[in-house]
Amino acid sequence: MKFRSVFRKLLMLLAASALLLGIPTATAYASSATTGAGWIRLAHLSPNTPAVDVYLYSFGNSNAMIVLHHVAYGTVSPYESVQAGDYSVAMRAAGASAASQPVLSTSVTIATGHAYTVAGMGPESGLRLQVLQDDLTTPPGQAEARVIQASLKQQVVSVSLASATLANGLKFATVSKYQVVSPGTATVTVKAVGANANSSVTLAAGTVHTLVVLDGATGLEVVNLEDASGSGHPPAGGVSTGLGGTAPHGPGSPVPWLVAIGAGCMLALTGGMRLRRNRQLTARI
Amino acid sequence: MTTRRPAAALALAVGLVVIAGGTAGLLLTRHSTPAMRPAAAGVAALPAPTGPIVAPPQSAAPKPVASPVSLTIPLIGVRTHLITLGLTTSGELQVPSSTSVAGWYTGSPRPGAIGSSIIVGHIDSRSRPGVFYRLSELAAGDKIYVKRADGTLIEFRVASVQTYLKDHFPTEKVYGPVPDAELRLITCGGAFDFATGHYLSNIVVYATEMS
Repeated sequence: MKFRSVFRKLLMLLAASALLLGIPTATAYASSATTGAGWIRLAHLSPNTPAVDVYLYSFGNSNAMIVLHHVAYGTVSPYESVQAGDYSVAMRAAGASAASQPVLSTSVTIATGHAYTVAGMGPESGLRLQVLQDDLTTPPGQAEARVIQASLKQQVVSVSLASATLANGLKFATVSKYQVVSPGTATVTVKAVGANANSSVTLAAGTVHTLVVLDGATGLEVVNLEDASGSGHPPAGGVSTGLGGTAPHGPGSPVPWLVAIGAGCMLALTGGMRLRRNRQLTARI
Repeated sequence: MTTRRPAAALALAVGLVVIAGGTAGLLLTRHSTPAMRPAAAGVAALPAPTGPIVAPPQSAAPKPVASPVSLTIPLIGVRTHLITLGLTTSGELQVPSSTSVAGWYTGSPRPGAIGSSIIVGHIDSRSRPGVFYRLSELAAGDKIYVKRADGTLIEFRVASVQTYLKDHFPTEKVYGPVPDAELRLITCGGAFDFATGHYLSNIVVYATEMS
C-alpha cells in the first residue's frame, strides 16, 4: 500500500505540472501613459494697442502659470506645453500690478495633442482676445500655411504664395484657413489698396506656417511663423533595428521534459514493484 | 533473489530523480519570461556631458540650428556619435549599418529646432547588444543630451516610452508635425520572430527639449 501512495503522489505531481503548463507567460512592457498635454502660445496683434503683460492661468487658480512682460505689437511667444484642461488668458497694461483688473481676458480649453494661439486682435478701441486653433498635420511631402491679417492701415489684404492664393480680401483682425502648399522657397505677395509687400519665405515639407501681415514702420510687413514641423516624407511602417542576438528564445518544446518524466515514472515503477516483490519473497522465507 | 534488491532500489531512486529533474526542467522553461532581458553588464551610468545649454531659438524668425553630431543618455550608458540616415528606395527609414551607432533621419527636424526630430539605433546585432539595447529602461523625466556641430548641447527630458507593433506603427504620431522641439528615439523591441529575423515591435521614446 505504501508504494501505491507514492505512485498516487507522482500522478498528482504530473497533473500539477500539466496544469502549470497551461499558464501563459505574460509579456508586459514598461510604458508610461501618453501625456495628456497640449500647446498654447500668446500673441499681441493689435496695431495701436501699447505693450501689454500677458498672463496664463490654470482655470480657477489665481496664481499665473506663465507671465509674459512687455509684449509689444507683432510679438508671438513660443508654444508652451501644458496639461490639457481649461485655462484663462488675461492682458494688463505693461507694468500693471498682477492683482489689478485685467484689460481683457478670455478662457481657452486645451485638448490633448492640440495647439492654440491666443492673440489680442483688433483696434485698441475694440480689442479682443481671439482663440485660434492651430493645425498640426500636413499631407506627406506638402506644407501648410494660413494668414493672420493684423494690419490696421490696410484694412483688407490679399495674400499669395508663388501662384497660389492664400487669402483673398482678408479683413483686418481675421484669419484665413490653412491651405496645403508646395514646399520650398517662394515669394509671398501681399496686395492692398494702398500698399503692396513682397517677402521670400521657406516652407519645408512637413511644416505648418502662419504668415502674419503687420503694419511695419514703412508699410506692410510679413512675419513667417513656423507653427509646427515634422518629417516631410514620413518613413513607411516600422523600423528594422534589431537582429535578434539578445532576443530571449521561447520556452521550447515541453516534449523532452515530459518524456523524461514518463521514463522516470516507468523506472521508479519498475524498481518499486521489484522491491515490493523482493520484500514479499523475503517475508515468505 | 536478495541480490536484486539494490538494483531495484537504485532503479526506484534514479526514476524519482529523473521525475524530479524533468518536472523542474519543465517548470523552469515554462516560467521564463521573454520580456525580461538581462541587464547589460559593465555599463555604468555616464556623467552628463558638459557644454553650453542653449535656450530654444523660438522667435518670429527661428534661427537655423546646427546638425546633431552625438547623443548621450547617461542613465543607460549610451554615448554615440550620430550618422545621417535617409529613406530606402521602398520608402522605409534607413538604419545604421553598425549596430553600435545611432543615426539622425535627415528628413526630420534637427534636434532643438521646432518639430519632431528622429534618431534611430539598433537594440542588438546577431550576437550582442546594440547602442539602444537598454532604451526601454528609460522613463518619464530621464535626461537625453544631443550635441550639435557648433558645440552646443541640447537637453531633452523623456515624456513617455511606448511600444508599438510594427504592423500598427503610428506614423502620424511619431513623424507628424509638433509645435515644440521634440525628440523621438526609435529601436526594436517586443518578441523576436526567429522565422523572419525581425522583432515584431518598435520602442519609441518621446522626449521634449527643456527650456
